[in-house]
Amino acid sequence: MAGVNRGPASGDELGDDPAGVVVDAVGKTYDDGGTPVRALDDVSFAVESGEFVCVVGPSGCGKTTLFRIIAGLTEATDGEIRVAGSPVTGPTTDMGVVFQEYHLFPWLTVEENVGFGLERTDRSAAERERRVDEMLDLVGLTEFRDSYPKSLSGGMKQRVAIARSLAVDPELLLMDEPFGAVDAQTREMLQRELLDVWASTGKTALFVTHDVAEAVTLADRIVVMASEPGRIAEIVDVDVSRPRERGDPAFGEHVARVRDLIGARP
Amino acid sequence: MATDTGREFDGSGLQAGLGLDDPRRLLRGFAGLVGFVVLWYLVSLTQPPIVLPSPVAVAAEFRGQFLSGTMPEALASSIRHWVPGTIAGTGLGVGAGVALAWSGLLDDVTAPLVRVLRPVPPLALIGFAIAWFGLNHAGAAFIIAVGGFWINFYASYGAVEEVSDDLIDVGRTLGVRGDLDMVRSVVLPASLPGILTGIRTGLGRCWMLVIAAEIFSVPGIGREILRASNNLRVDRAIAYILVLSLMYLLVDVAFRAVQRRVLAWQA
Repeated sequence: MAGVNRGPASGDELGDDPAGVVVDAVGKTYDDGGTPVRALDDVSFAVESGEFVCVVGPSGCGKTTLFRIIAGLTEATDGEIRVAGSPVTGPTTDMGVVFQEYHLFPWLTVEENVGFGLERTDRSAAERERRVDEMLDLVGLTEFRDSYPKSLSGGMKQRVAIARSLAVDPELLLMDEPFGAVDAQTREMLQRELLDVWASTGKTALFVTHDVAEAVTLADRIVVMASEPGRIAEIVDVDVSRPRERGDPAFGEHVARVRDLIGARP
Repeated sequence: MATDTGREFDGSGLQAGLGLDDPRRLLRGFAGLVGFVVLWYLVSLTQPPIVLPSPVAVAAEFRGQFLSGTMPEALASSIRHWVPGTIAGTGLGVGAGVALAWSGLLDDVTAPLVRVLRPVPPLALIGFAIAWFGLNHAGAAFIIAVGGFWINFYASYGAVEEVSDDLIDVGRTLGVRGDLDMVRSVVLPASLPGILTGIRTGLGRCWMLVIAAEIFSVPGIGREILRASNNLRVDRAIAYILVLSLMYLLVDVAFRAVQRRVLAWQA
């Protein structure tokens, strides 16, 4: 049976967790002169170091807004985000951020894209080069290092984006529907690869998706959101051992449970 | 996805033009040119030379002007104000366009000024050019620079405005801090296709302004065209117009080669 965690772990107990993320009573109201829109209301949960947490919800539930607030790209109206105990006030290289549409720099080669963040660190040129090699190897794109993004497939572009965000060695990998723009087959492959990368690097992962099966495939815990206003409906533990098979009855049970919470048709 | 393909840039423009990479297109273009010259020749048989001289007469005049040294001298003179005028207009136009499009504050401060100055045609500034710089290369360069400035200003401004916010967000998450770093690392490369298209348009526009700038008797190709026209030497006027066209063509082909190289990531 899917375990259910009502409410968040209180933030403070994760205060010193080096990669712990605390989302503390975050709210967001869009007010551009007309009727104010409450996009997020009192969203609180915590992600432990090394944990893989997915956020799922119907479109319009504010999950992308939540993602942007956690990334420091959008300001919250209420509450705050804390990473390793410090409040997030803007984008930080402690987080590797991956977007749905890849957003590679088209004027840079694969190698240069991966090395972009490293140039702003105090690593030596030799170290940076070694790190880029390592990342390219991790995502299996070494032979495409000199290609420009335009010649890559969607799946390859997203691998580059993941390598680029991991290169600066962030504690947390934050992803917004990263596999939403690729075909189903590529998506499953990328999911497996992401789990491998996560397992081998020990990063904390926070992954936003609207795809329930994807969330059940990946997550230790699933934050299920509801809309109008965007808020947490439930937090569901996924206690199915990895690797997870879609045919496994426990897998189906979790998918049904989360779908039920979202109110989507089975 | 859109940001990956550089949607704002029309890549086909690079391959078009002379069609040097496609022999069939080159042949067709050549046929068109020959057809035009033949037509010109036939029509010129029915007209007196002061209305329409024949291509043969124009070619002879071209040769005469060239060998007498008048033409090379005029060309050298035009180049002496075209080059500084174009460089100043392009540099200032791109710089101002990028700065104003990126900085909301600068944009707000300068918006009324830009609206007032924009509609002033470069030719209307001839009085100022003479008063400020005199009847010389600097005065002519000023007129050329003004024309080049606006084309580059608007092209760069538009190109920077088009830069996707998403790329800027990615830059921020990867540690880009401060306006200078962001402009240098993300904004400029992302808007480069649009900026280069502006520069290319500006290069051509500046050649046209050479004529206008020489109205007030600064020596050069433009003054020769005006003189020839005043003396009803249509053959000479056409010969100098051809010089202007050839110079434009040369600069354009050279710039397109540079553009193609710089934007290799996009082709």
